[in-house]
Amino acid sequence: MSDRLLAFDGIGQDFPAPGTKANIRVLDGISFDVDRGKFVAVIGPSGCGKSTLLQMAAGLLIPTRGAVHHRGRTVTTINTEVGFVPQQAQLFPWKTLAENVELPLLFRGVAAGERRQRVADALGAVGLKGFEQHFPNQLSGGMQKRGSIARTLVYRPDIILMDEPFGALDAQTRMVMQSDLQTLSMEAGATVIFVTHDITEAVLLADHVVVLSQRPSRLLANIPIDLPRPRNMFEPFRNPAFEAAYDAVWTEFRSQIDIGRVH
Amino acid sequence: MTESKPMTEMTYDATDGGTAPRRSISARAAKPLQWLLKLLPGIALLLFWQWASGRLIREIYVSKPTAVAARLYELFASGEIYPHLWTTGQELVLGYVIGVAGGVLGGYALGRSPQLARIFEPYVMAFYGIPKIALAPLFIIWFGIGMGSKIALASIMVFFLVFYNVFAGVRSVDRELVNLTLVMGANQRQLTYHVFLPAAAPFVMLGMRLAIPYSVIGVIVGEFTSSAQGLGLFIHEASSTYDPAGVFAGIVILLAFVGTANLLAGRLERRLLRWRSLSGSGPIDI
Repeated sequence: MSDRLLAFDGIGQDFPAPGTKANIRVLDGISFDVDRGKFVAVIGPSGCGKSTLLQMAAGLLIPTRGAVHHRGRTVTTINTEVGFVPQQAQLFPWKTLAENVELPLLFRGVAAGERRQRVADALGAVGLKGFEQHFPNQLSGGMQKRGSIARTLVYRPDIILMDEPFGALDAQTRMVMQSDLQTLSMEAGATVIFVTHDITEAVLLADHVVVLSQRPSRLLANIPIDLPRPRNMFEPFRNPAFEAAYDAVWTEFRSQIDIGRVH
Repeated sequence: MTESKPMTEMTYDATDGGTAPRRSISARAAKPLQWLLKLLPGIALLLFWQWASGRLIREIYVSKPTAVAARLYELFASGEIYPHLWTTGQELVLGYVIGVAGGVLGGYALGRSPQLARIFEPYVMAFYGIPKIALAPLFIIWFGIGMGSKIALASIMVFFLVFYNVFAGVRSVDRELVNLTLVMGANQRQLTYHVFLPAAAPFVMLGMRLAIPYSVIGVIVGEFTSSAQGLGLFIHEASSTYDPAGVFAGIVILLAFVGTANLLAGRLERRLLRWRSLSGSGPIDI
């Protein structure tokens, strides 16, 4: 328990519904912990408020009920101890790749010499050496995503929040990115919360898979995935242990898909 | 299998780079031709004007290019035009700069603060609807017959154009990008400098370019209304003494003003917005 880094404690969230006075209840009493160095995947049907949880961890949204605790402190303002990798790469189009990755260090007052070194290291780690002076619109989608990840890794945040980061990529690029993300997070010993709607992705990457239900969403299950690392991202179905883990998550998840005709 | 052929050809083209020099050679050859094509309609118009004057229309109405050129030469050689040029030039530059500065500041403030925007937007909207030219006589009363009234008129016309563009630009900044920047650790000053200003830059530039002719309209209308010196006054006097060559000479000088300003704005735009023009030349997927 001493390893607990982030805790969602009875999170509830209502959003005002357009056209009516009543609120839509999106999240309903969600609690789970994220331990240091662990990779936690959050899956749930679309519209169940997965991304909302990440916004709360980053302090961009304060929950209606309950609270998020980071290292025992309640998150009440923007949490600059976390790193956020959004669905779209969201690099600054007016800055070169190197300037993009350097920016968080600049904000944090890191000295110029160290900035240069750390930017080079981060870009090297994601395989973008040689593209420092490119502008984002000169890079492919996958490369932009790598840049976005480098921009987060470079300041070594306590927790990395990833919001369906590979959703917009093609299948091959996605597999490569998943494999690289596993290597990167293992090397850095990073703590990651990874939101996705892809069960395979969740089971492959995560130490724990948190399954959320349809709106108003509750926590259905928090399933540990005890597959040895490094895992093979390219041929998961050759591994019977993977199939068992996938099954465990799918049994929880399938009910939600059967109900949810309308997304 | 038949589908794979065009694909390999495409990748070959993209990685080879052999197309780039070929394109630049053809571009180099095409450039003088392009200029010639661009100049052709202008030359044709001038020739037609020269021919038609005195044949289709009486010269007293439209003058002719050679007469306008002679008049221009005379104006500069005698030095008659310089006081007018100097006055109008100052009015244009000051009016433009004040209008742009006010527009950028106002648009930025209202763009950043939804609360301010809620309060002030209706007022700005209402003032925007006033035909500013109608204010010219009033401005003469307020700011006098000298440069002040012209600067005021030009800057108010410039202000609204720049204001609306900057306001829209700042409001269009992606909320998620702002949130991300805050999580990265930016303070408000850094957020302004690294996100809002560069994001608004294309809109600022658009406003600045659109505003150039409006500043000229403001100054000239002000000078038409009442003034002691300036190109507007010169044109006004030329037209009231049946001197069409003088009128056109004045207009040519104004055109030169606008042309130069557009050129400078274009330079600034290419410099500031370099990141926008570089798309499409990137490497292929890895």
